[in-house]
Amino acid sequence: MTRLIARRLLLLVPMVWLVATVTFVVVAAAPGSYADTVEHPGLTTEQRQAIRERYGLDEPVHRQYLRWLGAVATGDLGVSFVAKEPVARVLARALPPTLLLGGAALALDLLLGLAVAVAAARRPRGCFDRLSTVLALGLSGLPSFWLAGLAVLVFALLLGWFPASHMHSVGAEQLSAPARLADLVHHLVLPAACLGLVAAAGTARYLRSTLMDVRAERFILAARARGLGEGRVLWVHTLRPALLPVVTLLGLSLPVLVSGSVVIEAIFSWPGMGLVLLQAAQARDVPVIMAATMVGAVAVLLGSLVADVLYAVVDPRAREEVR
Amino acid sequence: MIRSPRLAVGSTVLALLVLLCVAGPALRRPAPAGDPARAALLPPGAVATEVVLDNGRSLVSPRVAVTEHAVVVGGPLRDTEVPRERVVDMRQVRFWLGSDRFGRDVLAQMMNGGRISLSVAFLGAVIALFAGTTVGLGAATGGRWLDALLMRMVDAVLAFPVLFLLILVAALVRPGPVLLVVVLGLTSWMGLARLVRGQVLSLRGRTFVLAARAAGCSPTRIWQRHYLPNLAGPVSQDTALRLGDLVLAEATLSYLGLGIPPDIPTWGSMVAQGHRVMVDGWWLATFPGLAIAALVVALALIGDGIQERLSRS
Amino acid sequence: MKQLAVALACALTVLACGSPSPAPEAGPGGAATARGGTVVIGLLSDVQSWNPYLAEDSATANLLALVYPSLAVEQADYHLHPPSFEPALARSWVWSDDGLVLELELDPRARWSDGVPITSRDVVFTWQAQVSPEVGWLFAAAKDGIDGVEAVDEHTVRVRFNRVDPYQLMDLNDGLIIPAHAWAGIPFDSWREVAWRERVVAGGPFSLAGHTPQQEIVLERNPGYFRPGLPRLDRAVFRIVPSDRGLVTQLLAGELDFVRSVPPADVDRVRADDDLELVVYDDRSYTHICWNTARPRLADPRVRRALTMAIDRETLVDVVYAGFVRMAVGPVLSSFWAFNQDLEPLPFDPEAARALLADAGWRDRDGDGIVERDGVPLALELLAPAENELRQDIALLVQEDLRRVGVEARPRFLEWGTLLAALDGGDFDGMVNLWEEPTRIDLAEVWHSPPADGASLNFGRYSNPEVDRLLAEVAELAEFPDRKPLLDRIQALIVADQPYTFLVENVRLTAHSARLRGAEINAATPYFNMDEWAVAPAGAE
Repeated sequence: MTRLIARRLLLLVPMVWLVATVTFVVVAAAPGSYADTVEHPGLTTEQRQAIRERYGLDEPVHRQYLRWLGAVATGDLGVSFVAKEPVARVLARALPPTLLLGGAALALDLLLGLAVAVAAARRPRGCFDRLSTVLALGLSGLPSFWLAGLAVLVFALLLGWFPASHMHSVGAEQLSAPARLADLVHHLVLPAACLGLVAAAGTARYLRSTLMDVRAERFILAARARGLGEGRVLWVHTLRPALLPVVTLLGLSLPVLVSGSVVIEAIFSWPGMGLVLLQAAQARDVPVIMAATMVGAVAVLLGSLVADVLYAVVDPRAREEVR
Repeated sequence: MIRSPRLAVGSTVLALLVLLCVAGPALRRPAPAGDPARAALLPPGAVATEVVLDNGRSLVSPRVAVTEHAVVVGGPLRDTEVPRERVVDMRQVRFWLGSDRFGRDVLAQMMNGGRISLSVAFLGAVIALFAGTTVGLGAATGGRWLDALLMRMVDAVLAFPVLFLLILVAALVRPGPVLLVVVLGLTSWMGLARLVRGQVLSLRGRTFVLAARAAGCSPTRIWQRHYLPNLAGPVSQDTALRLGDLVLAEATLSYLGLGIPPDIPTWGSMVAQGHRVMVDGWWLATFPGLAIAALVVALALIGDGIQERLSRS
Repeated sequence: MKQLAVALACALTVLACGSPSPAPEAGPGGAATARGGTVVIGLLSDVQSWNPYLAEDSATANLLALVYPSLAVEQADYHLHPPSFEPALARSWVWSDDGLVLELELDPRARWSDGVPITSRDVVFTWQAQVSPEVGWLFAAAKDGIDGVEAVDEHTVRVRFNRVDPYQLMDLNDGLIIPAHAWAGIPFDSWREVAWRERVVAGGPFSLAGHTPQQEIVLERNPGYFRPGLPRLDRAVFRIVPSDRGLVTQLLAGELDFVRSVPPADVDRVRADDDLELVVYDDRSYTHICWNTARPRLADPRVRRALTMAIDRETLVDVVYAGFVRMAVGPVLSSFWAFNQDLEPLPFDPEAARALLADAGWRDRDGDGIVERDGVPLALELLAPAENELRQDIALLVQEDLRRVGVEARPRFLEWGTLLAALDGGDFDGMVNLWEEPTRIDLAEVWHSPPADGASLNFGRYSNPEVDRLLAEVAELAEFPDRKPLLDRIQALIVADQPYTFLVENVRLTAHSARLRGAEINAATPYFNMDEWAVAPAGAE
């Protein structure tokens, strides 16, 4: 196991390099550069050319690539074309909001998904089971931007219960610490609910079906035969084995936690990684694109490794599968 | 053969949706012509009059008055008077699901758009099915090195920011149905590859496969009798769910302006466009949105049904 | 409701043309003089840099003008005559007889936010930064006509020009004055590595109180501002919302007090809100379709005239702009002093358009509904920016109109970077574009024949030797009245050639909180007199 982890960690570097290189090539091949995206009505063609020269965008692609690679090798991610500050600072700023939103959504996802699945599995084909199945199906069938738009319309515009966007209210920096926290939570509710509810619908469906599978296993029948209460059978004997696959799901959700949801962050002006990547791609802000891509790639690869390892730990039969 | 109610409901809904899209336009009389100036944003069920002129143009308005010499076609900002001799035909049209911002019939658009949405998702799923199964089988049966290589490839593809890749690919190539099919297919096979590989590896250790091998069955026979039947279930379930994901992905891409060209409506692009006028025209995003949800639910039910049958048999 | 919209638009247009400077103090209830309060303003993009000479976009320049002072303020009277200037940091100026030397006297009350006086040293330092190749200010060309800026004494600056030109003062005033005492110690060649947010020293009405990138910028009253008693506001908060739709949503949710551009489709909702006011005024921009005249299919002016005449621009105004804009005529906005009053938009006449196309050899011979010449159908690709919904709507409507005269125009929406690359490379047929017109009338930039390598703002490669000759002649004349007849002739030539289909002259729909007082909202700059803005206390109407 240790050797496996070591090997996969070693492989991480060339794989991130591969992903980054392909990304660089695609960015370079796409028409237009940062100079073309600058919004200024008075900009002449010469001035756009001057911008190109300033950021080295007029050089041949291989030269740009080697320069970027050399800088990254020494730990220098470069300076954002748009924000005119080091990329590391841009990402360091975007990561906490994304972690916060992703974490809140994940918590909602797991808690709600677990609660609904357990409640549904207690009485299969009962009223709650059918209702929750239909609701979960319907929720997972709606485009997330539509759901988010509706949430803004209803809860921010019509009812006015929650703010429509951003992380803080105007003037929040002058509030006391508890009031600031309350303000932050107030802003977090809508985006986290939009992200978390859809995910919870999926988790509930998945968990319910694994619960049903486990119920049919021999050891559950044995437990029942021993005369154990239904509650004990469910909580101790059924849920534990059924949760194992969910644990591995956690590893796979690491990337979303780190890279953020582009659609939700854009709709709620949430200053996270997803919004940063979207805006960087639109502005052809190469240093930011490259850095965000690499962070995302590392998250995916680590998440995949974590999932594999967890899987191998909880299910010894699967050891052979993990290589 | 065990009947599954989920499978039945799912298949019926799916069949109805497909039928509506394929045969719908033929069943319905010619849909009302689009008149952006006079028939924009009519609510569902609205009745309007289509005034066909001698030059082939149509004016459509819910407010049409006929005077002695002229036909007056009402508009939100101004009325238009047309001399009676220029009017070739006048007929009542009904916008069952309302009209969009350009006065086009939403129902007609949904029928046309559904064909494209369904084909894109279906073809994308076929590509994903083919690529995922090939890679999964290759990894499971091709030895240690091929396995490691293919699985790291899966990781690498997963590690690409798909959305961002699309922004740039859309800049390189004219976005269109074909590109969308290829991109959707090529970015959604990884889960299937993992699934297939995992299934094969776990089947390999099962007693019945070991027994068959010990009994000297040929590998081909073992594949036919044991691997393929046991793979078919999970793979088809996964594909049904994936189809739903692809329909949603198409919608999200259209929302971000990276999907099919705007003059070809799909359910996804209709939701995305309608999303802009949620307040003044709730029906624009709602009906295609419901169609997408119905499709995804139907596919999920089919997937569940397949799994149910598998676990019972 | 919409009839009202048109009526209101007309009324305001008349007002804007008739009285150049409505009294800013004329707020109802006399609440305009109240001090204090906060205004929350919606912003589409964040500030690029807090050093005005390193940013490249116009949004940054507009916002920084609240933090750094200008010598003078360009007035919003550009439509009556070339714009005039009101004193600002320079409280007066005198020209030498030959028009080559200008002496400015700075306001002695002016202080930077750290208390240091603003002196001629700052003005000289600013000029040095502007023309420094190490700084590489993008707009340094504006200073080509200036030979030197020198400090005569602490509050007097002398500027030497090398040519006489109607726009000398405008060129001098271009760019904001920066703090020499704080920034002169940083070598120009290391300016790009400096974290400017931490080094802001304000000399304008407001100073920087906080900046959370991609979220908000908080400006607060600069007590050292040279206009006594101003600004009235305590704070101005700029909230960054990356989409038009998001801005309107937040405005309606009461989270914003000021949004500079409301999409026409949302006007009814803004109007229905008692807490909001809508201001409708002529923008300095027109929307058009730029045709690539280098394409053989589009080289014939008759074809381009036919395309224009096939497009129902009146319906377009109603559908896309809710009736708020008016049809454009030619390359100069009809509200500008330089506009040729004899010109009118080409009529909407599909039959005449068909006839023109037939004249040029385009007929539908195979009966497929699309005209062709030498067996080639007239099929065009119509580009529009993916970021702009109005222009996409236009492309979709134009597609329908052109189909009726047998021209296939397929819309294609590209994001801006890709689009501009296609335009620069001449790799397009038609493009729905918008030009924001500078207050300086300069037709050569867009209409002069393109240079040999093809890259200029003349994306459509329009070339007319007569226009070129007249443009050269205009540039020679120093007086505006002499320029007018030549400008008239150029406009007539361009309208006849229709290298563009001139669609509409834009109107800007600015929405603000009903509590905002004293704001003079015009198309000169977004925050024109923000030092005079005030907020009525809650509850007051």
